[in-house]
Amino acid sequence: MTIRADGSRPASVVEAVALPVLTGLAVFALWQFGTSSFGVSEVLLPPPTAIAARFRDLLPTLLVHTGATAGEIALASGVALGGGAILAGLLTLSPGLYGALMPTIVLFQIIPKIALAPLFVFWLGIGSPSRLVFAIFLSFFPVLVSTAAGLQLAGSEAVRLCRSLGATRWQILRDVRIPSAAEHFFSGAKVTVTLAVIGVIASEFISAKQGLGYFILLASSRADTSAVFAALTMLCIIGLGFYLCVLAAERAVLRALYG
Amino acid sequence: MRSDPVQPERLAGTGPVQPEAGAVAPAMSGAYISVREVSKVYGRGRDRVEAVHRASFDVPKGQFVAILGPSGCGKSTLLMMCAGLEHVSSGRIAIGPRTVDGPSRDIGIMFQDPTLLPWKTALQNVLFPIHIMGLRKAEHAERAGDLLRLVGLAGFEDKKPHQLSGGMRQRVAICRALISDPDILLMDEPFSALDAISRDEMNVLLLDIWQRYSKTGLFVTHSIREAVLLADRVLVMRRRPAAVVEDIMIPFERPRRPELGDTREFVELCAMLRRHIESQT
Ligand SMILES: Nc1ncnc2c1ncn2[C@@H]1O[C@H](COP(=O)(O)OP(=O)(O)O)[C@@H](O)[C@H]1O
Ligand SMILES: [Mg+2]
Repeated sequence: MTIRADGSRPASVVEAVALPVLTGLAVFALWQFGTSSFGVSEVLLPPPTAIAARFRDLLPTLLVHTGATAGEIALASGVALGGGAILAGLLTLSPGLYGALMPTIVLFQIIPKIALAPLFVFWLGIGSPSRLVFAIFLSFFPVLVSTAAGLQLAGSEAVRLCRSLGATRWQILRDVRIPSAAEHFFSGAKVTVTLAVIGVIASEFISAKQGLGYFILLASSRADTSAVFAALTMLCIIGLGFYLCVLAAERAVLRALYG
Repeated sequence: MRSDPVQPERLAGTGPVQPEAGAVAPAMSGAYISVREVSKVYGRGRDRVEAVHRASFDVPKGQFVAILGPSGCGKSTLLMMCAGLEHVSSGRIAIGPRTVDGPSRDIGIMFQDPTLLPWKTALQNVLFPIHIMGLRKAEHAERAGDLLRLVGLAGFEDKKPHQLSGGMRQRVAICRALISDPDILLMDEPFSALDAISRDEMNVLLLDIWQRYSKTGLFVTHSIREAVLLADRVLVMRRRPAAVVEDIMIPFERPRRPELGDTREFVELCAMLRRHIESQT
């Protein structure tokens, strides 16, 4: 369910649920109709019904690969979220550190990091560590920057109040900055988990004997397009699952803070 | 002072001000807050702003002083220097024997914005200073409840700020400023964001609190009526240079009631103050 910025729910059920569902169905219908009536080869673009059937058949295999991929995504997201948030806290505690590190970190973002994936295999081998480290490297930045901004933005008046009470920098961080950065943290976290999925899949393309990325690479080398789409469907489900986890955590935390 | 005729004692100039003999009750005599030749300069070069220019005054213990002046004349800056939240560029501020060089637990502060933490309840906000100072919360919870009751917020202890009106939030902020029982209360236009009715209510409340706790107070405002109703003494500041240009005793007895504002003496005193201020600009 969408919640608007002002906290109100959308005006009607039609607007909130029916409209997007109908749009989605229309796209699928067009896809189905288009591929069958123009005689598009199933190798080029299989129709949704063919993908669904293939998904059902492949499910046991897909689940094995899903386990491997989802595990690595969860681990990479967790480290990226925790590490990004802690680093943001450290940067806020020490203005010197902030000045020293932040420009470098921002500069790093200009590099198309996905292009570095092969290097990580070279550095860390073809095992799980290289995939994890690459996914973390790819995904930690949004949560770091967003959280750091939230920590810095914390009401200067609340900070002044704390200073008048003789609060230490650590107390200000704990009691004012962290709670007021919660929303920023979660908006960064949503991007971070999405990037962690990309990071793990991209590394699986390069170095893996298991996982959905590996499966997709294998299937497309055999021109098994419907298997590729079946795996893609699974990836969407995983991505959505991680996203919803963040959303649920966000709602729980914000409710605890402001409810 | 209490029995003096309704005639403000106007003390000369910006130099060190000695309260006139008999103008101040014995218990109040002697400087408690002492501001000596204090200036504040922000920025340098073309950005240089002298926010306060050689301010000097003394506040005896127990006195409530209003600082009155147009916006931008350096009132907040002066108050923040007294609070130890801004450094003085030159001069000296002392509280008792101690030169102010940082925040002190003897001081409670109220800002224009109530500055409540939105994720804490009213009670938790009142106890926030206790939390920061690392004192026992359990020991102060009762006092916090008493204060909230005193300001008319009984039953609102567990409400979060967004569930309270603007006036109620500022009441919570008063309780928070009082929770650690500081000797001095510094208030920077605490009621100027409120509507006229809430503001009148808050003035009554502050008079009551003053009667009860007898603190030493500096109260920044740009309302002449508010200054005269609340204060024992009014300092008038002006811009360019940002200096204290008038020091006027307010002779009305305490306890004061809001009806004081309808008396002729009150209205005349306000009119006289207004003329003083206008003649300065
Ligand atoms: N942090 C600051 N940096 C630079 N200039 C400031 C700062 N704070 C206040 N000033 C300037 O100092 C002057 C007095 O400000 P202030 O003390 O806030 O006045 P008031 O409270 O009487 O409205 C203003 O000209 C303002 O622009
Ligand atoms: Mg001001």
